[in-house]
Amino acid sequence: MSVLIIVFLTAVIALFSGVFEQGKFARYIGILGLIIALYVSFMPECSFFDHYKHMYEYSANAALFTKISIVTTLLLFFLGGFAFSNHRSHQSELYSLMLFALCGGIVLFGYQNLVTMFLGVEILSIPLYVMAGANKTDLRSNEASIKYFLMGAFATGFLLFGIAFIYGSAGSFDLYKIHDFGVANTTNVMFILGVLLILCALAFKVALAPFHMWSPDVYTGSPSLITAFMASVVKISGFFALFRLMTIGFAGVTHEWINVLGVFLIITLLLANVMGLAQTNAKRMLAYSSVSHAGYIGLVFFGMTSLSTYNLAFYLFAYSLSTVGVFMCLIWVEKLKRETSYGAFKGLAKTEPLLATASAISMLSMAGVPLTAGFMGKFALFSQAMNGAAFLVLVAVLGSALSIAYYLRLIIAMFFFKESTFKSSEKVTLTYNIIAVVVIAAIIILGIFPDLFARMFGL
Amino acid sequence: MSCLLLTLLLLPLVGSGLVFAWKNSSSKYLALGIALVQMLITFYILSDFDFNPTVDSVLQHEINYPWSQFMKSSLHFGIDGMSMLLLLLTNILAPIIILSSFNESVNYRNTFYGLILLMQFGLVGVFTSLDGLLFYIFWEVTLIPIWFIAGLWGQENKRFEFTTKFFVYTFVGSLFMLAGLIYVYNHSASFALTDLYNAQLNETQQTVVFWFIFFAFAVKLPVFPFHTWQPDTYTYSPTQGSMLLSGIMLKMAVYGVMRYLLPITPLPIAGISGQIVIILAIVGIVHGALIAIIQTDMKRIIAYSSFSHVGLMVAGIFASAVVTLRGTFNVEGAEGALVQTFAHGINVVGLFYCCDILYKRFKSRDIRQMGGLAKVAPKFAVLFLIIILGSMGVPLTNGFIGEFILLKSVYDFNGTAAVIAGLTVILCAVYLLRFYGKAMFGEGDAAVLSTAKDLSAVEFSVLASLAVFVILLGIFPQPVIDMVSSSVKFIYQSMVS
Repeated sequence: MSVLIIVFLTAVIALFSGVFEQGKFARYIGILGLIIALYVSFMPECSFFDHYKHMYEYSANAALFTKISIVTTLLLFFLGGFAFSNHRSHQSELYSLMLFALCGGIVLFGYQNLVTMFLGVEILSIPLYVMAGANKTDLRSNEASIKYFLMGAFATGFLLFGIAFIYGSAGSFDLYKIHDFGVANTTNVMFILGVLLILCALAFKVALAPFHMWSPDVYTGSPSLITAFMASVVKISGFFALFRLMTIGFAGVTHEWINVLGVFLIITLLLANVMGLAQTNAKRMLAYSSVSHAGYIGLVFFGMTSLSTYNLAFYLFAYSLSTVGVFMCLIWVEKLKRETSYGAFKGLAKTEPLLATASAISMLSMAGVPLTAGFMGKFALFSQAMNGAAFLVLVAVLGSALSIAYYLRLIIAMFFFKESTFKSSEKVTLTYNIIAVVVIAAIIILGIFPDLFARMFGL
Repeated sequence: MSCLLLTLLLLPLVGSGLVFAWKNSSSKYLALGIALVQMLITFYILSDFDFNPTVDSVLQHEINYPWSQFMKSSLHFGIDGMSMLLLLLTNILAPIIILSSFNESVNYRNTFYGLILLMQFGLVGVFTSLDGLLFYIFWEVTLIPIWFIAGLWGQENKRFEFTTKFFVYTFVGSLFMLAGLIYVYNHSASFALTDLYNAQLNETQQTVVFWFIFFAFAVKLPVFPFHTWQPDTYTYSPTQGSMLLSGIMLKMAVYGVMRYLLPITPLPIAGISGQIVIILAIVGIVHGALIAIIQTDMKRIIAYSSFSHVGLMVAGIFASAVVTLRGTFNVEGAEGALVQTFAHGINVVGLFYCCDILYKRFKSRDIRQMGGLAKVAPKFAVLFLIIILGSMGVPLTNGFIGEFILLKSVYDFNGTAAVIAGLTVILCAVYLLRFYGKAMFGEGDAAVLSTAKDLSAVEFSVLASLAVFVILLGIFPQPVIDMVSSSVKFIYQSMVS
């Protein structure tokens, strides 16, 4: 809870810092606030906030996911200086909106009540609708914003409708009371209907097919840093919200929703990877890749063990690191070339070997090549799901097999061309190089010593 | 004594880091030095290797550290006869392969040699790891460097298609193997080899696992319908890439079949699946040899010849496994395959190097445009012939003994199969002698021949050291058989029990 307050206060201060110097300080305030929040999140929770217990519980899992999302946001903030350098007059708003969205995420990590969950989803989403349209002069950005907003409004409707059904049948918003009701009444039609409606709403939020239609357009239209934020922090929040709801609240009626989710996953894995193959634009490819990762992460619901939360956290952390790694490269190229087709990346490794390597290793990690964190994450999820749903794992394996082809295209573009299309005068900033090293090191170290993750986040 | 094995594992990794950082034209000497030290350590390990171990001491130089409690996997390495043989192959060929590039002006030299050493690290890991997950990880680690070598230094206009095809093909295979291994792991206590061997699986489950894991090996080897990536990759890769791929990397799959596939899934091998594999392998033998005969591109000839030879190894391994599972204990096929593994590694590296030499003289890979080189390059003619004879499996060369044992074990399984598989000997003579005759004899382009030189010092030392192995192993094959026999018996016994 204290973390949430710190992030919120940072966001407010960052917002008002826009009064001075066209918001130049917002980023530094954000970085400082996030570092403090990260430090606080490693300390035991203050008992002062105990009376929130029935709305919000700051469990060990919530703390773990809070840390992961703060780390990811922090990395993105470091990249922000370059990414937002032509949004001079709106910097403070954008940074504070990111922090507000993070607040929504943190609410979602510990909600104990459907009302809190609804609040969390909305606090997370509404800043995103605005951020997607941050490039006011760009038509695609406007389209992204309006599309995201309209689709998001529908999802909100589904969510509210579902919550109403749940409340109508179980008579409570409390997660644990809903769980008890579910265990006792496994065939209550109204309850099941509510479960499925909420499942659809959250599937929209995490971009699981067939509710993923918005994501390629929104991801492509938004400024790249915001896209990275959507692909990492928003995905973490959305998935953990779904995970909490399904494994605590609706654990009693698992058999009613697990097959529906399985169908979602199969569609997601096949469709997203095939569509990813067909793309010619790297940013759009990454959007589909992000959708496909929602499919892999969804495997966590199958063959659940006591380690499932840990597996989910590991995968999400690995995925967030890779997202930062790829998008930092994308941001840089987009800034110089004003476009993100594969051709724009030609010969990047010649002029910026570190940046290109970070991006290549990140993509290999996404594809699940060993000695990267992504492999360990995929391994954990696959071996867990193999117990309950071997067929789904097979589909996921096929999906990964397809995915390697489109990641390779970008790596080939960066590495296999003799002459670079970049001017040697345009050098990456020091911050970018440092973040590149951090991302490479983190991905490889976690790939070799996966148990470090457990210790690092105090498991 | 385990620190020797640890050195063997870490030296190429540290070495590759050094070479990457050493942005200097002398980085090739550094790389060669590291590879030579690695070779000396391997010989040192060989010098006190126990050739007749008891059941408990099959594994030598064992290292076992806990690694990941979540993955139930440990850093478990060790050397038995089979590993020893493949380590020898890897560490003898690595310096030769590095040396073979000394005459060329390689772009980004330090990256090139760094990648070769990184590849060597992965190979040593594959051949010594005794843990399923570790094996898979090293298996994949070898893929990235070879992909970069093929892509960065491969034939200019073809690089994008063939490298993508190669990577996707092998990666898909590996993923299926991962799925298979995870499936076994879910039925066993951990990824330790003994636990994987003892996993409780019924026949249906084993069949599924068998085909999943076999797919990865079948792509890498390659076995008949999964070979389409191979000719392109061998042809358009740089010479050193083709050497690494066919000389060493392909052997990972032969090793994997014996170390992992046979003991984990004996039931389907005894049943229909084993026979299907033998049939596929034999189809591959004939198919590969027939296609090799009509090729005019010399690298393609070698590629298809390699495909055909590998088919015989697979047929031999599975034939003796099937015979063993039917009740008569028979390890000949496996021993023969390992002897052939070593011989084929030496021969194919030699052949690719000869192709490289011919290409430098004639500026073409088309054998129809060659001829008459024997007159101006007698040293080359002799060494090339020795390697050709070795590949054909003429008696007193290294190829003979392996091929003989393999055919014998296929015969024990089924006489007809052995007759068809035996065609490889005849067909191989046809395409290799045709290749040799076209290139070395007859009327050549006078302009080319007048400027063509005999072997340079580097070329001579590479080919001569390979030719020494060809003859040495042809005359004294027994040490190699002794080396592998106890570990092969151990594996076949755990398959039966």
